[in-house]
Amino acid sequence: MRLHFNSCKVAILIATLLPLFVSNVGHGSDQRRDAEIHADKGLRLAQAGNLPEAEIELRIAVQVVPDDAGFLSNLGTILAMERKLEDSTGVFERALRVDPKDVTTRRYLAANLWQLHRYPEAKRNLEIILNQAPNDKESRLLLGMVSENMKDYPTAIRMLGSVPAQVRERPESIAALARSYYHLGQRKNAQRSLEELLTHPSGARGILLGAQVADEMKDYDTAEKLITAITSQSTDQATVGYELALVQYHAKRFAESQRTLLSLISSGYKSSQAFNLLGWCYHEENQPADAARAMQEAIDLDPTQQSNYLDLEKILLASGSLPSALGAAKRASDRFPDSPLAFLMRGSIELKMSQFTDAVVSYTRALRLDPANPDASLGLAEAQSNAGLDKEAVAGFEAAIRKFPQDPRFRLQYALMLLKLAESGNLSAETRAERLLKSAVALTPPLPEVHYQLGDLAQKKNRTTEALAEFRHAAKLDPQSAKVHFALGRIYRRLGRNAEAAREMDFYQRLKESESKAAMPPSGTGASQN
Amino acid sequence: MTLRFSNRPFHVCLVAFTFFTHGGTGKTASQAEIFTDVTEQAGITWHHFSGESPDRFLIETMGGGVGFLDFDGDGLQDIFFVNGGETPRGKSPTPVRNALYRNLGNGKFEDVAAKAGVDRIGFYGMGVAVADYDNDGFPDLFITGFPESALFHNNGNGTFTNVTDRAGVKNAGKWAASAAWFDYDRDGLLDLVVTNYVQFSFDNPKKCAVNDVPTYCEQEAYLGMPLSLYHNNGNGTFTDVSRQAGFDKLVGRALGVVAIDVNDDRLPDLFIARDASPNLLLINKGNGRFEDIALDAEVAYDAGGLAKAGMGVDAGDLNGDGFPDFVVTNFNDQYHSLFFGSPALRYDDRTVASHLAEYSKSFVGWGAHFIDYDNDGNLDLVIANGHINQVVETTRSDVKYKEPPLLLRNNGKGIFQNMREQAGPAFNTGYSARGLAIGDFDNDGGIDIVLTCLNGKPILLRNNVGQSNSWIGFQLQGTKSNRDAVGAKITVSFSDRKLVRWITGGSSYLSSHDKRVIVGLGEGPQPAAVNAEIRWPSGTVQRISNLRSNQYNRISEPIKHSPAVHNK
Repeated sequence: MRLHFNSCKVAILIATLLPLFVSNVGHGSDQRRDAEIHADKGLRLAQAGNLPEAEIELRIAVQVVPDDAGFLSNLGTILAMERKLEDSTGVFERALRVDPKDVTTRRYLAANLWQLHRYPEAKRNLEIILNQAPNDKESRLLLGMVSENMKDYPTAIRMLGSVPAQVRERPESIAALARSYYHLGQRKNAQRSLEELLTHPSGARGILLGAQVADEMKDYDTAEKLITAITSQSTDQATVGYELALVQYHAKRFAESQRTLLSLISSGYKSSQAFNLLGWCYHEENQPADAARAMQEAIDLDPTQQSNYLDLEKILLASGSLPSALGAAKRASDRFPDSPLAFLMRGSIELKMSQFTDAVVSYTRALRLDPANPDASLGLAEAQSNAGLDKEAVAGFEAAIRKFPQDPRFRLQYALMLLKLAESGNLSAETRAERLLKSAVALTPPLPEVHYQLGDLAQKKNRTTEALAEFRHAAKLDPQSAKVHFALGRIYRRLGRNAEAAREMDFYQRLKESESKAAMPPSGTGASQN
Repeated sequence: MTLRFSNRPFHVCLVAFTFFTHGGTGKTASQAEIFTDVTEQAGITWHHFSGESPDRFLIETMGGGVGFLDFDGDGLQDIFFVNGGETPRGKSPTPVRNALYRNLGNGKFEDVAAKAGVDRIGFYGMGVAVADYDNDGFPDLFITGFPESALFHNNGNGTFTNVTDRAGVKNAGKWAASAAWFDYDRDGLLDLVVTNYVQFSFDNPKKCAVNDVPTYCEQEAYLGMPLSLYHNNGNGTFTDVSRQAGFDKLVGRALGVVAIDVNDDRLPDLFIARDASPNLLLINKGNGRFEDIALDAEVAYDAGGLAKAGMGVDAGDLNGDGFPDFVVTNFNDQYHSLFFGSPALRYDDRTVASHLAEYSKSFVGWGAHFIDYDNDGNLDLVIANGHINQVVETTRSDVKYKEPPLLLRNNGKGIFQNMREQAGPAFNTGYSARGLAIGDFDNDGGIDIVLTCLNGKPILLRNNVGQSNSWIGFQLQGTKSNRDAVGAKITVSFSDRKLVRWITGGSSYLSSHDKRVIVGLGEGPQPAAVNAEIRWPSGTVQRISNLRSNQYNRISEPIKHSPAVHNK
């Protein structure tokens, strides 16, 4: 499914920067006069909306008089309006080196840094301003927004709550305040904030934003209430209908969501995203064939949307239709030959289907397209290992561990491969595997399989207490792992703790049964094997 | 030649006889190789037909069986091959026939299946279980298959009669794989256990493909079946007692079976190898019921709780501790499993420690049997391998479609050495092998091997080295016990060694073996005294001293207990 794109930051940035155009002249030389001419011309061009020409004029002014904070500040502003945020930030920083006390420029710098997700730096600059000018409302607003992004919800509420007029001006800041309330469990306050959107001048756009926040915070009733309020007034019935169906889907009211979508579609509002969501509804209602059909319709309506292909693959995978999933993956990788994600997905399906040689090819391609992608590195090494390309796999794992030293998955998968080699005669491999597993323990996220494998090794060496501790640790991390409970059952039985052994084995049997049911492909879909 | 008994008088006949002396079959192969492929010179030309078709029915990958038997009582082991059959779109240009190769005694065989009346069956054939179920002195044939099975009674005149319907062992509607004759209630009559594989129909082909090339769907796409147990009523009929035995609840994809007394209570138990279902270790409770203890015995799953793809199984004492150990063949990457037994019935998984993991990593295993091929007194292991997926080589570089069999030499402690280099060309050649039976077709004391191959000719491997060490052969004949003495336990003592062997029911995959037992006596001069204790299935214990080596000893069960015979 697609993520909602939140455009609030752009709106706030532009609103904050627009009043900047102030003349800041005062130099007396000919050069200065020349610079001022260019600067004035630039400002006029900017006000006329010709930002590229304005940038050229301001750059000339800055070239002529490089240490004029005003020219620099104006150039930074134009660059920001052109969305050249990195450049703009550098120019603002130069301006502030000339005039560190310029509150306005610092506020714009903070706005840029916020845009660039450099929240701690934004916060630091805003705190400097508020030390100088504690009542600077725009800065309080910005600090509220930054704090919300930094998950510092008390500060967000304090700052945004202190400038209600500024917050009310923009649906985005209302949304940020509401989100902060939700996070702190102040549901009623959040709902009150969002209700302001019902009468906000931004109209349907603001209300939809509010609904998205309520939806995101799992307050589905409020989300639905907001959407229902605009159903009659909005001209964009497709969006409103889709948002309503999305909320219903998130609320796990799949049949309702499906009805909403079918009604929307039958009214002529056929969109790729509506069919995509419909596909997921069918999937949740265990109607795999309808799900695949709907997802195919989504693809047909918008063949450029890669996520539809990937979603089709996921749905087919979940229903055990591996060959069909691979077919979809092949179509996706043919359609998007430069997409690492398409080849990653294809590789993972091939790996599941034990088509190891093909998986090596797919992952190699994914890695070439995105050399920094850890999933591609991991998949490739795994595929090589399964394809019998042991030397290549070892080299891949070793390189990946150097490249991604904090990712425990590489150590785990490498250890698993080495343990296999140890089982088939390579005695030194086991020592290396154990070292890798122990080093993976210290990394995050904690992987239950690491503890399971350490437990298994300890058990093989009759270090029963250690084995039991590791298996318990694994069970704590993944209580639904059948094999962990199986291992616990075995070890308890060996320790003569028969009641615990029986309990663990019973748990294991139940988990295995549910795994078998989940893995059983629907009749006629077929399951691939090698 | 008559042997002397240590305890007289016996109401038994104990006759030692030598069929052939060394070299009697005209060996021509290099002595450097342990086994020589003599299929061609033996005149074995039969081909297996699987009915391979575009529908890719799973059954096309699974057959066929083979059995050693002396059907005409001439003292020579003959060979019976079970053919597969046609599938809806996999037709044979010639009728699909089984083969019964009569051993002519000169290293050559002659197919007499048509004359014997066992060449044609009306179903898709899988395996064979040989035994003299009516104790008339002639081995009978139970042929497994889909959607039924058949029992052929040996008339004693070179012909067989299909008695399936009268006997009540049709096993209708089921895909039967292996079968084992064993006397679970110790009434002196061999009963029959049948491993049923999966719910299957030619009407519903399942579709799977690798890169759009149709291939066989994995076994988990099919639901398993319960086992069948038929009680021998002693009048030529059998009663299906599967439900009474508790087998109706043991649903899974069963393929291999071996009957052996694992807890030494004189009641034969069963080890069932199952494919992607947990293995079963069924303890005979003595009241007609069996209890599965595989989970507690730690033979049901691998260490991760995963049911492996169990195909074939055999039992024997590999490490000389007197307890039966088990080998189970599995899929590639799973390794074939080796479990060491113990009095506590908790098995020790020795797959890795024995090097079996190392040697079997790339192989899909089927038939398997312990075999002391060099008669050094240690049970070695032979395994038939072959992948089921014809396009597997396009998916990885370390697994082949056609795979060589494995001959693994045991050092006496259960550590194997791969004998590939010395074993002979057959062990360096890829086959789609399935069934595997052992038997001494040339009666030279070196145990020979026969393998079946999917859609191919079988391979008869003559043992060249067994005769280089001393051995002692047992041909037991039950009187109170079943005539084949299935379930007998033989303990042979010589020098400072004590070796235990069992006459098991079933074992391997789809196959049946020479029921005579050969015990290797090791290198060096013949032991001064070889003694044996035979515990017959009836419970009678018979002790015999000073057995002669390098020959078969035909031993009948004492009709009355002598003072030297002790019962537990």
